[in-house]
Amino acid sequence: MVSDRLFCRGDKYYCVHPEISYINKSWVDNTDDGTNSMFDRRLIQYFDWWLIGLTLMLGAVGFTLIYSAVNAGDFTIPKALYGKQIVWFAIGMTAMVCTFIFNYRFMDQWGGMIYLISIILLVFVLINGKLVSGSRRWLEMGPLTIQPSELVKISVILILSKYYSKRASIRGFTLKYLLIPMVIVFIPFLLIVKQPDLGTALLIVLIASSITVYVKIERKTMIWLIGSGAVLVSLAWFFLLKTYQKQRILTFLNPDRDPLGAGYHIIQSKIAIGSGMVFGKGFLKGTQNALSFLPEQHTDFILSVLAEEWGFAGTGIVLILYMLLLAWGLNIAHGCRDTFGTILAVGVTAMLFWQVFINVGMVMGLMPVVGVPLPLISYGGSSVVTSLIGIGILMNISMRRFMVE
Amino acid sequence: MKKNEKKNIQTRIIVIGVFFCLLFSAIIVRAVHLHVFKGSWLSEKAEGQYKRSLTDTGKRGTIFDAKHREMAVSIDVTSIAGFPRSIQKPSKTAKTLGTILGINHKQLRKKLSSKSPFVWVKRYATPKEVQLIKAANLEGIGFLSENSRVYPNRSLGSQVLGFSGIDGQGLEGLEFYYNQYLKGAIANQTVIQDALGRRFREEKKILAEYNGNNLILTIDKAIQYITEYSLDEAVQNFSGKSGIAVVMEPSTGAILALAHSPRFNPNTYQESNRGRWRNRAITDPFEPGSTMKIFLASAALESGYCTPNTIFYCEEGRYKVGRNTIHDTHPYGWLSLQEIVKVSSNIGSVKIGERIGKEQLYDMLKKFGFGEKTEIDCPGETTGLVTPYSRWSKIDFATISFGQGLSVSAIQLITAVSAIANDGVLMKPYIVKAIIDGNGRLVENFQPKKIRSVISLETARTVKKIMQDVTAEGGTGTGAALDGYSVCGKTGTAQKVGKTGGYAGSGYVASFIGFAPAEDPKLAILVIVDEPQEQHYGGIVAAPSFKRIAYETLNYLNVPPRQVKSVVSSEKLTTFRDKGANG
Repeated sequence: MVSDRLFCRGDKYYCVHPEISYINKSWVDNTDDGTNSMFDRRLIQYFDWWLIGLTLMLGAVGFTLIYSAVNAGDFTIPKALYGKQIVWFAIGMTAMVCTFIFNYRFMDQWGGMIYLISIILLVFVLINGKLVSGSRRWLEMGPLTIQPSELVKISVILILSKYYSKRASIRGFTLKYLLIPMVIVFIPFLLIVKQPDLGTALLIVLIASSITVYVKIERKTMIWLIGSGAVLVSLAWFFLLKTYQKQRILTFLNPDRDPLGAGYHIIQSKIAIGSGMVFGKGFLKGTQNALSFLPEQHTDFILSVLAEEWGFAGTGIVLILYMLLLAWGLNIAHGCRDTFGTILAVGVTAMLFWQVFINVGMVMGLMPVVGVPLPLISYGGSSVVTSLIGIGILMNISMRRFMVE
Repeated sequence: MKKNEKKNIQTRIIVIGVFFCLLFSAIIVRAVHLHVFKGSWLSEKAEGQYKRSLTDTGKRGTIFDAKHREMAVSIDVTSIAGFPRSIQKPSKTAKTLGTILGINHKQLRKKLSSKSPFVWVKRYATPKEVQLIKAANLEGIGFLSENSRVYPNRSLGSQVLGFSGIDGQGLEGLEFYYNQYLKGAIANQTVIQDALGRRFREEKKILAEYNGNNLILTIDKAIQYITEYSLDEAVQNFSGKSGIAVVMEPSTGAILALAHSPRFNPNTYQESNRGRWRNRAITDPFEPGSTMKIFLASAALESGYCTPNTIFYCEEGRYKVGRNTIHDTHPYGWLSLQEIVKVSSNIGSVKIGERIGKEQLYDMLKKFGFGEKTEIDCPGETTGLVTPYSRWSKIDFATISFGQGLSVSAIQLITAVSAIANDGVLMKPYIVKAIIDGNGRLVENFQPKKIRSVISLETARTVKKIMQDVTAEGGTGTGAALDGYSVCGKTGTAQKVGKTGGYAGSGYVASFIGFAPAEDPKLAILVIVDEPQEQHYGGIVAAPSFKRIAYETLNYLNVPPRQVKSVVSSEKLTTFRDKGANG
């Protein structure tokens, strides 16, 4: 029952056909004068309501959980955090709108500049960062405290997408071509490890690797890389990792090794999750949350608040929301006509995926405790803004999927 | 080429999607595992972390007097606790608290910066202190509701009531004796505790059913008050060391008042001398002296060897028993039994004793309850000391006849005298009339309990008459005579045993025991003053106090006065010198 359909938009007629629609569109595009204008009507038409809907739903979940984490009985977390998070979300939404207003194709031009700025910020953090429990991760800028390592994720995705899209014709990258991406990743990696923030540093490597694997690596190179990666990891274990980081990994393997020390986080988190049972204890009724048994319950361990108060039902729904969001991200990559956009969409989706996976895995005791927030839900300004900028990029690509290079 | 490229991209995106799905399903499997399969086990673990079982006791019962006036009550008070782990600035907190509570800042800071999760800052804080601290809004400072014992009448009846300690445990007196009834039941409470050890009570109020039972005493607050100030007066006027006064209802054995002098304030019992805490009327034996002569007379009359008019030669004041010589303060010649009691002749008493024999006297003393506990519901009762007659030496027998060489407690003495007032029937003394629970339901009711018939009605009447004569003109107890009521009584002036064992040089115990009105005794009263100075005769030291207690109490009880019919006037007293008393 495939047939062309015509429908009216203002004084123009559009033809939509599942297979040849873009030809029609481009035809219309090319014949219509003033199509080069940024504010094409089709931008509205193609506005991605699914993407924005999923984002807002996850944001709403986040607010509910932060409210609970801040208000349920305890007084160790200042209540002002809730208001702060609203402000950050608003900033993030603005950043998102800014990100999707301009055609993403211009982004490759800014890629290098953004990367440079983020590296400079990372250097600043090491020099003048705010010291919180032994790590320098935050920069104080007036009333705002930002975490530059979060923004680095975006800049790395951008610059790698640019690099790989320029060489899209290459069938399988060899080491020769991978050298520059490695340098690109290695600089922020080293700076972030210095903070130290192993979680975020590894996250950047994972995102970069995902993009690289996606654009296809030559088979031999791949094997070589995996081999040297293994060597590097073992070297890192002995020379690079700090004692507490080793502790965390060992504790992950056996949480009961140190139930009141390093294993405390994992054990408490598991108790909170499990005691939520299938339907949860109810909003603001989570005992482990209210009685401060949960560690970091408004930031990295926010999922355990969800799991405790809303049970498996809540966890399941949120995981489904994330899966829909990620599927939608891949769908956007799939629907994109140009290589840069596709890689960019894959990169952003990979960023979201790894964060969700690592965070949930950590909270559920499947992974060692590394400081990775749950995107769009955890408290934290930089994290929310970064995630929303990422959504903005996806939105940008999605809205312009009718445009042909 | 382009198409191929596109297809390639699509395949790779699908591969990524599958990869994502695989990892996600691992998470979901884990979520199912934790939530569904390990859920109940982890829930238990969670409860184990935050639930703490705490035992709490209900409110201690109230002690009421006979007319339901409060003698001891428990009130809700607030105690201030600190949770050091959640105190950010211990020195600042300590300073604020210290200023309000008037506690040393340094000590408080040390407490508040300790490692324990919980410390007491102040127990039983005043409402004003609590208000000020609440206003200061200090972090890590909590308020706990507790019960505190309050004795609204302060020292009134202090030795009888006793007191309970800060943990609600009865430590002395009735508070101790009836602790099992008074104390609140233990209520197991579940307390929610957070990760820092701070506690939150699930239910704030303890159910009323956990509250202790209330006591209703036989003691009447008004009579107690009368007795106390009358006793105080006697002790003060004669600079006595201490005093005891007991008021009993002879027909039932109910204690209407039990006074000590000096007393202590049970609200601040720690500030008073420990020696004052005990109920000495019950716990301390003493040598009664001449008051015992009424029991000797009872024995003599009951034995049938004597009548009130049986005469004895009193040896003109000096009588040798073995190597010892017994003296009378005033020398007498021939005296009838009645007169011997009236003037309290020691030699006459010895002669009466000789007439009836050791066994008779001993049996009678035992029958009156001496040498045995009265089983009154007060802690620490003494049996007194009455050695078996087989071990009495000659001089022992002689002195026991006039009340030395044996020891009794005040409660034994008043109980025995009440038996005479009660037509010869000995009643068990008691001080608690009833126990009721928090809702006013009766838990236990104590009825008057007859122990035995000690002497015949006739003997009792005769002894009464003899005792009434004591307060008549020429008797040793005229100081106790009342206008409008006939009074039966007996004075006592006992020499105390000195540290060396002899009687010489140590103090006296002045006492007066009796009952009124003679025809239908409503009150039996005993007044004892220990070591009075200047004067030591019971008739002078204790009798006026007896008189005052009797008079005011009879008024309070609305016992109608009537013209005293002089029982004595018809009987001529052959030997009457002056107001001389021999004890």
